[in-house]
Amino acid sequence: MDFLDMRWDLIWDYREFFINGIWVTIVLTICGYIGGIIFGVFLGLGKTSKRKWLYWPCKLYVDLFRGTPMLVQILIIHLALIPTVFGQSFGFMVSGITALILNSAAYNAEIIRAGIESIDKGQMEAARSLGLTHGQAMRRVILPQAIRRMIPPLGNEFIALLKDSSLVTVIAANDILYAAKIVSGAHFRFWEPYLVAAVLYLLLTFIITKLVAFIERRFSIDYNPRKKREGRVDV
Amino acid sequence: MIKVENLHKSFGKLDVLKGINYEVREKEVVCVIGPSGSGKSTFLRCINLLEEITDGAIYIEGVQVNDSKTDINLIRTEVGMVFQQFNLFPHMTVIENITMAPMFIRKLSKSEAENLALELLDKVGLREKAYNYPQQLSGGQQQRVAIARALAMKPKVMLFDEPTSALDPEMVKEVLDVMKQLAHEGMTMVVVTHEMGFAREVADRVVFMDGGYIVEQGQPEKLFDAPQNERTKAFLGKIL
Repeated sequence: MDFLDMRWDLIWDYREFFINGIWVTIVLTICGYIGGIIFGVFLGLGKTSKRKWLYWPCKLYVDLFRGTPMLVQILIIHLALIPTVFGQSFGFMVSGITALILNSAAYNAEIIRAGIESIDKGQMEAARSLGLTHGQAMRRVILPQAIRRMIPPLGNEFIALLKDSSLVTVIAANDILYAAKIVSGAHFRFWEPYLVAAVLYLLLTFIITKLVAFIERRFSIDYNPRKKREGRVDV
Repeated sequence: MIKVENLHKSFGKLDVLKGINYEVREKEVVCVIGPSGSGKSTFLRCINLLEEITDGAIYIEGVQVNDSKTDINLIRTEVGMVFQQFNLFPHMTVIENITMAPMFIRKLSKSEAENLALELLDKVGLREKAYNYPQQLSGGQQQRVAIARALAMKPKVMLFDEPTSALDPEMVKEVLDVMKQLAHEGMTMVVVTHEMGFAREVADRVVFMDGGYIVEQGQPEKLFDAPQNERTKAFLGKIL
């Protein structure tokens, strides 16, 4: 009955590693995600552009980052790109966040492009026919509709990024997975640390799922005619 | 008011308009009829440059539309357009649909814009729907809102691209009535339509297009009752 002979006390002894790991994972994910969305908006808009000099670089970038494993990207960025460009390494945090931003931006770009292109082109025509410029029509008419459609897939991307952030352990980032590895390496116990790591990730994704559902509800209020009509006095 | 000179439009290798010459005078209502694929919608969409012009020129009040020095956005504020599919903005209420462009482009204050919008909604008979969303309205109501939205910019010309083709039959009349009223008020209108009754009653002139050309044009009585061209006769024979 070795299997049930769990040593949960080991985890308690290493609690500081895990608590620190949770913070590192959260910081990596949130920084990577926010940066990835900002960069992704530019890439996504570039991919909807009719100008070839704008479209092709964006397409190339997205294809490159979606077509290669994130693990390889992390190693290239940490061991090759950053030392070559800056002459030194800035540690796993900078490399990790850079890798997460660059990678998630490619996926976000596709979500943003698809969201924009899913809006009927009559909407753009109607806005332009009223005298709005392309940019104004984008901001007032297309994006408010497209963003609602982007929220669910962007939420999925958030969860995927949180899980993918565990890959930065290969460059010795002390995230959740790293804490588990320390415990297993020191005591040759595998069930306890990795189960705890899994549960911690599960907890974090659960929180994000709830957050995304909340945001989705907030944004759908405008789309739900009955809600907004309440309290309105018809003229 | 609108002058079209030797207008050509091709999509890739497909020539849709093969040299259109026409002039619309002020306060005139022109109906454009013809079989599908004849280029009549493309012709209309070229007027406010929703389609890029391949060759030729279009002038609105003497200003060449397809000149790189012309601010097309400024021209478009003077040219209202109503689409077959209404194209109302679904994330805005009816009144927001109407006030958006006047507030944003004409810099009207919110209360000015709303007063204008309510006035226009009165005109199309939909004041009580001001705070509804487009998807809560019937097709005919949506199209009337779309007309009000275009009118809110106080355009000098209104373009209608088959405004009743996407409507259930019982809703066609309410939209045509609004358009008739507009015509009586002296609005300059170009209407692409399959409603021959409307063309006959309201139009000052009717244009028959086929194969990318204006085949025949003239006063409605003349064109409908005594068409000269064989193709006009064949087309009218099929639908009347």
